[in-house]
Amino acid sequence: MTVAIIMPARNEAAAIGQVLSRIPRQIDGMPVVPIVVDDGSSDQTARIARQGGARVVRHLTNLGVGAATRTGFQAAQTLGAEIVVTMDSDGQHEPAEIERLVRCLVEGKFDVVIGSRLLTPRGMPITRFAANLVLNAVTFMVYRKIVSDSQSGFKAFSRKAVESLELRSCGYEICSEIVGEIYRKKLRYKSLSIKAVYTDYSKSKGQHFLNGINLLVELFIRLMRRV
Amino acid sequence: MLLALVAVSKSYVDFRARLESLSMFLFWIVTWAIIVAVALFPWIVDLLIRSSARGGAGLGTFFGMALVFLYFVVYRIYVKIERIEQNLTKAIQELALREDWLNRR
Repeated sequence: MTVAIIMPARNEAAAIGQVLSRIPRQIDGMPVVPIVVDDGSSDQTARIARQGGARVVRHLTNLGVGAATRTGFQAAQTLGAEIVVTMDSDGQHEPAEIERLVRCLVEGKFDVVIGSRLLTPRGMPITRFAANLVLNAVTFMVYRKIVSDSQSGFKAFSRKAVESLELRSCGYEICSEIVGEIYRKKLRYKSLSIKAVYTDYSKSKGQHFLNGINLLVELFIRLMRRV
Repeated sequence: MLLALVAVSKSYVDFRARLESLSMFLFWIVTWAIIVAVALFPWIVDLLIRSSARGGAGLGTFFGMALVFLYFVVYRIYVKIERIEQNLTKAIQELALREDWLNRR
């Protein structure tokens, strides 16, 4: 049984090596395989990721975090992974928490475990906290599902969940779309409290406020298409 | 007028480079000619509205129809862009996964 860690990355040469070095090589006897999806980086992200022991899939051009995540899912399925974890490459997520997510998924027999930053938001910038609450509300309006952290990129999926997801998003709206799929496909899920790491670097790499507006527009269009 | 000139010249360059068909090029010339005519002689709009008002339609009808048409154009553009985005994404993903990444480290 293999655990694949999908890490969409764009110009993360400064952080990816360190993040990869802290990913466990195995969890409860299961081999862990990091898969970095290089989304059109112009720096040495792919080379450093390979040196760090990751399998690397490279997009010729930047498609967006949603498209990179979907590529990662396909790659994980090709590898035959039974468990798939998505996480950020900028160091915002603590690699040591991967074990907790995987154990929760396996022991609780869940299809999806969402690492929630909002259950214990200590250290989270107040603007980010407020923006995430707004996006939770918008996700609920569009997909009729409320979760504590709809925008979390730190999630664990069972193979069944990965095979059942029908995703179309190319950008950050994929987080909301996954919540919608959990609801649509009646997947068993749990939110698990995680600690997010907010360094100057990871804060600079997160979603810009203006991109949040873009995301709202994308979700609004999806809402209109459903009506 | 300057904007129209720029737009028509761009269209002409595309036409010469065979990136645009003759019919499309002529369409843009006619469209921009109308826009320039209306800009230079706004009384044309008054004439149009007065003549359509004789049939019972007013200014509201004119703008309503224009709005509906513009919304339709925006909708069509959105659908096309979405389709292109999905196709492009699929092509790049397949290219990325086709490389021998499984065995490469």
